[in-house]
This record gives sequence, structure tokens and C-alpha cells, in this order.
Amino acid sequence: MTARPLAVLLPPRPEPTAPRLLAQTWLLAALVLALCAGTAWAQAVAQQTGRPGALAIMLRWAPLITSGFLLNVMVSVLAMALGTLLGLPLGLSLIARTRPLRLLGWGMTQFFRNVPWLVLLFYIMFLLPFELHLGGLVLPVPAWFKAVIGLALPVSANVAEIVRGGMQSIPEPQWSAADSLAFTRWQTISRIILPQALRRMLPPWMNLYAILTMATTLISVIGIQDGLTLTRAAIAAESRPELMVPMYIFLLLLFFAYCYPIARLTLALERRVQVRI
Amino acid sequence: MKRLLVVALLLLTAVVPARAQDSLAAIKQKGVLTVGVKNDYRPWGFLDPSGKIVGLEIDLASEVADRLGVKLEMIPVTAANRMEFLRQGRIDLIIATLGDTADRRKVIGMVEPNYYAGATNVLALKSSRLKSWTDLKDRKVCAVQGAYYNRRVSQLYGPKMVVFPAVPDALNALSAGNCVAFLFDNTLIVSTLTSGDPKWAGYEMPLVSEDPQLWAIGIRLEDVDGPFGKFMTQISTEWLKTGHIIALERKWGIAPSPYLLEQQKKLSTP
Repeated sequence: MTARPLAVLLPPRPEPTAPRLLAQTWLLAALVLALCAGTAWAQAVAQQTGRPGALAIMLRWAPLITSGFLLNVMVSVLAMALGTLLGLPLGLSLIARTRPLRLLGWGMTQFFRNVPWLVLLFYIMFLLPFELHLGGLVLPVPAWFKAVIGLALPVSANVAEIVRGGMQSIPEPQWSAADSLAFTRWQTISRIILPQALRRMLPPWMNLYAILTMATTLISVIGIQDGLTLTRAAIAAESRPELMVPMYIFLLLLFFAYCYPIARLTLALERRVQVRI
Repeated sequence: MKRLLVVALLLLTAVVPARAQDSLAAIKQKGVLTVGVKNDYRPWGFLDPSGKIVGLEIDLASEVADRLGVKLEMIPVTAANRMEFLRQGRIDLIIATLGDTADRRKVIGMVEPNYYAGATNVLALKSSRLKSWTDLKDRKVCAVQGAYYNRRVSQLYGPKMVVFPAVPDALNALSAGNCVAFLFDNTLIVSTLTSGDPKWAGYEMPLVSEDPQLWAIGIRLEDVDGPFGKFMTQISTEWLKTGHIIALERKWGIAPSPYLLEQQKKLSTP
């Protein structure tokens, strides 16, 4: 019943070698350097004109921009949770034995995987009412909630593909063995295939999450006060064009600091999963 | 249980946006006036570092709320979503540098008299020696997305438009020499030039301002002849007559607009 590790089919991914580690360090250093250089340049411009320094201004705006970034993180977490919740049954429907169910799942997956995220967001934004009237009760539907739904739809379709791929990657003999032991279809999936597949689904799922997090800046276009909107507003409020570069780099670094560890962890997990095939 | 679910679903689908006919009464009942404002257009509406929105139009919005005796809620809007928000009922008013055009009047109501008017001009280096609008032909001109004057200028004078999402981006491109001129509202060009920032010392507003464009407070179409529309007209008339907006221009460092002076003269001599 439990998934026994099978024979190792693929060689384990080599441990990061010295040059790669070096490259990573360089990448980080380059980003931080860019921020410093941008700030220093803006500072120099400011000093020429005798106005408050760029560094002081950056510090003044940092809490607000960070709070906006946290909204991005919250939206990404909720959209991923909702998308996964919807994507799991959708993925199962893709390998369903009843043809109509399979077709329905296939249609939804294809649709939501192949439309632009931003267009979907716009659609959801204007389609959903801003408040729901249930009898006498008025439920507000905040804009960030609409954004969560708008992003969860494409996420669910991508999760569905991950689920399907993960389950189909389990070798066929597992299915026939379960069959010969008189497991029902549902038992086979829930007790034998899924537990093994979950481990393989984790890395691409985390990858998708990192991509989603970066894509949450799209919500700034539909007027939500996220990190990008607030950064832009901060630049507009200062009316100091030379601050543009350091301000954007600051936001970029926030995202990088959040997404890079996820990418590292994904790689590490991938390595483990590969050994255990 | 199943029946309950069905009932709940039916309720959900049968939601009719139950909007009161009279917005004025509805706002007073709610105790909140929701206004769509800009938060990236200094000095009309912009953020301060604590995240609060401030600016000339914000002063106007809070005055409307004060008169009504209700709280003010501000929702940052963009050119792309403000009219939709108003129609949906998410906001009650648009005070967000909204140009009063015939096309828009088909969709939403505009409060008269108009509270402001701008005109179009360009900001350019003195050394580029622009003399007339036709000098812009085939030259790169920076502009801001969604500004009403973009289309007219590009049709009449054929410049190569380089469009940016916000004012700072466009100004940055101008000072980096990526375009010969920045197409913008004339009063804001004057404010930029007189701000004392040495960066703009070599720049000027070389052309004759064109295409005077009225700005309006936006309300829902069905409110235009209702109590809310009348209330807004009354406030707007008063603002123009007492020179209130001229005083606010001074407060926010905007060059005086000829339109406001003219309106004040017109309204105070019956």
C-alpha cells in the first residue's frame, strides 16, 4: 500500500559546484549594487540641487511600499490556495473515465491556460458586483478578493495540468497491480497513485507559485493598491524622475528576496524527488 | 441540506443590484460619500508617505463630504476604470482630472458648471527652438497614457508619440533626451517651470496653448436631474463664484488658470 521507492532510474542532479555558487553570489551582489548605485546617483543629483537626499526619501517611502508588497504576497497565497483547491479535482477530471467529465475538464483547462491573465483579471473585475445583496444583507466584494478569484482561475488550470502530469508519470504497472488487487478506481487514485505523485507535483507547483507571485503585480493595472501601484504613486508624489530607478529596484529586491528562496527550495526538492524514483 | 444549497444558489444568482433611485438620500443614509480620485497626479491627487491621499481635488472631495455631513471615503481610480466604477455604484463621484467630452457624456453625467479647465502645451528644451505646433511633425513627443489631448495632437500634427504610464516616467524620458518635447497640461507645465527646480532651468513652454478642455466632476447619468446633481451644481457654482478653487490653486502651487478667473468674473456680475 505505501509507496516503496523503486529502482533509481535517473542519476541524481550534481550538487551545486563552486562556479554555480559563485554565479549566485554575483547575481545577488549585482542587484544590491544596482540599488546602491541608483540611490547614490539620485543622492548626487539631489545634492546638486540642494534638496533632501534620495536615501532619506527612500526610507520615508519604504514602509508604504513594503505594505503594498505584503498585499501582493497575500493575494498570491490566497490565489494559490484557491487555485489548488479547484485545480486538484480539475486535474482528476482530466483522467476521468467518463468521457463528458473528461471533455469538460479538458475544455476548462485549455481555456484558462490559454487566455492572458490580465484579460481574465479585467473580466472578473467588471463582471463581479462590488457588493452582494443577499436578502437584506449587503456583502462587500473588495477589489483584492476579485483579484484573488481572477488569478485563481488560470492557476487552477495550471495546477490541473501538474496533477495530470504527476499522476501519469507514475509507471503503468502501479495501476495494473492495484487493479489485480481489486482496488477500486478511486482507491487506486487516492491511496496509491496520488501519494506517489504528490511528491513529484511539488516542485512544479512551487514553480507555479513563484510565477504567480511575480504576476500579482498585474493587479496594479486594475487599480488595486499593491506594491507596484504604491511605488508608482510614490514616484509621482516626489516628482523626482531620478528616484525612479532606485524605487523600482527596491520593489524588485522585495520580490526577489521572496521568490529566490522558493526557487532554491524547488531545485532542492527536485533533486530529492529524482533520486527516489 | 441539498435544498438549502439550492435556495442559497438561487439567491446568489438572483441578486439584483438594489440601488436607491435618489443617490443623495442613499449617501446620507449610508453616512459615507465614496469618491474616485487620482493618487498619482501631483498636485491634484497624490500620496504622502503615510499612504494618505492629498491634493487639490482631495480638498474638493472632503468639502463635498463635509457639506453633506458624512464621512469621506476615497478610492484611487485610473482613466481606465473610473467610469465603470461610477456606473457600478462603487463610487458616488469622480473627481479625478476627468475631461468633459461628448463621448463620455453618453456614459456618465458631468456636473456643470465645470470646476476647472486646462489646455494643451508642451515642455521642451529652449535649445530645441520649437516655434509652432507643426514643428512637432515626425519628431518624438513624450506623453502620458490616457490623456485626452494625445489623440488630437497626433492626428493634427503627426508627431511620433512615445507614451508612458505616468508623468514621472515621461519627464524622465524628456530629461534623458529621448524626446524633443513633453505633451502636457499647460497649468502643470507652468507649475513645473516655476517650481524653482534647477533641472528645468533650460526648459520652456514654447507654443501657444491649444484646445481648452473643461474638467468635470462625474456623476451617474440618472443623477444629473436628481437632487444629487442639483446639489453638486450648487456647490460647483459656489466654488467658482467665491474663488475657492483659485485659492486652492495657490495652496498647491498650480499656476492660475485663466478659466477660473473668467468664470469668477462672469458669475459675480449678474
